[in-house]
Amino acid sequence: MPGPIQTVAETLNSQIPLEGFLIVAAVMFAIGAWGAVIRRNAVVVFMCVEIMINAVNLTLVAFADFLPDAGGIGASYAALIIAIAAAEVAVGLAIVLAIFRSRRTVNIDEVNSMKG
Amino acid sequence: MMLVSALGVVLSRNVVHSALFMSGSFLAVVGFFVMLSAPALAAFQLLIYVGAVSVVILFGIMFTQSPQVRSFSTIVNKQVWAGLAVALGVGGFLSYILATEDWGATEAGQGTRDVAAFGEYLLGVGPDSEIFAMLFQLVAILLFVAVIAAIVISRRKDTDIESASDVRDVGE
Repeated sequence: MPGPIQTVAETLNSQIPLEGFLIVAAVMFAIGAWGAVIRRNAVVVFMCVEIMINAVNLTLVAFADFLPDAGGIGASYAALIIAIAAAEVAVGLAIVLAIFRSRRTVNIDEVNSMKG
Repeated sequence: MMLVSALGVVLSRNVVHSALFMSGSFLAVVGFFVMLSAPALAAFQLLIYVGAVSVVILFGIMFTQSPQVRSFSTIVNKQVWAGLAVALGVGGFLSYILATEDWGATEAGQGTRDVAAFGEYLLGVGPDSEIFAMLFQLVAILLFVAVIAAIVISRRKDTDIESASDVRDVGE
């Protein structure tokens, strides 16, 4: 009869199913979305968008590893997503710097000159 | 640990702490990539996100933040609880769909660990990956345009300095 320590060890050593990765990625996406909605600082909003991109990337790589017909192409696709995210960060931070230079704030509540 | 770090990004009062929590979250994603037998992708993630993006964001913080102590209610806007409800709804819905969907014959280790095969897929010479030849060049052009655009946007102009002083005068 296995003791509780052995049970815990077996649980830790067992293979994580696909749903585990997917749910972790979904929760991470939700946290990033929450942060992107509630934070006032534009730089932190960028960080939250990065977290959301990472969550989607994790989902993609999980499917590429688990689905038999994916054949590893999903990992290559994730590499393209990483490149696009890097471009997004470069442009976004340049915009934040330009806004900060003209308005002396990165508070996205105060940058409302395009509000109708 | 990844989720705790992600929550730290959202809830930390200090922006620098948020950036460091973001690095921790990216590191945890690196660990997941290694578990999912994508070591080349894990290396990319480590170099680009933990290395480059975090440093760029820290530079952005350095240029834009003035040191000040803030209470929690000043770093978030009025939508905390509505946003939490929406995020919980999105997360719960995604989790439910992803957990209950029948994905067929799933088994770990179907992806390729071979870095050479990864590179062939990425360049579009592998089997069934002809579309990547076009995507790869599109990404190259996109990165080029994005870097030029970032330089153009963030270049300092004389009019910007004048308008900044104008805004500050109005503010005071």
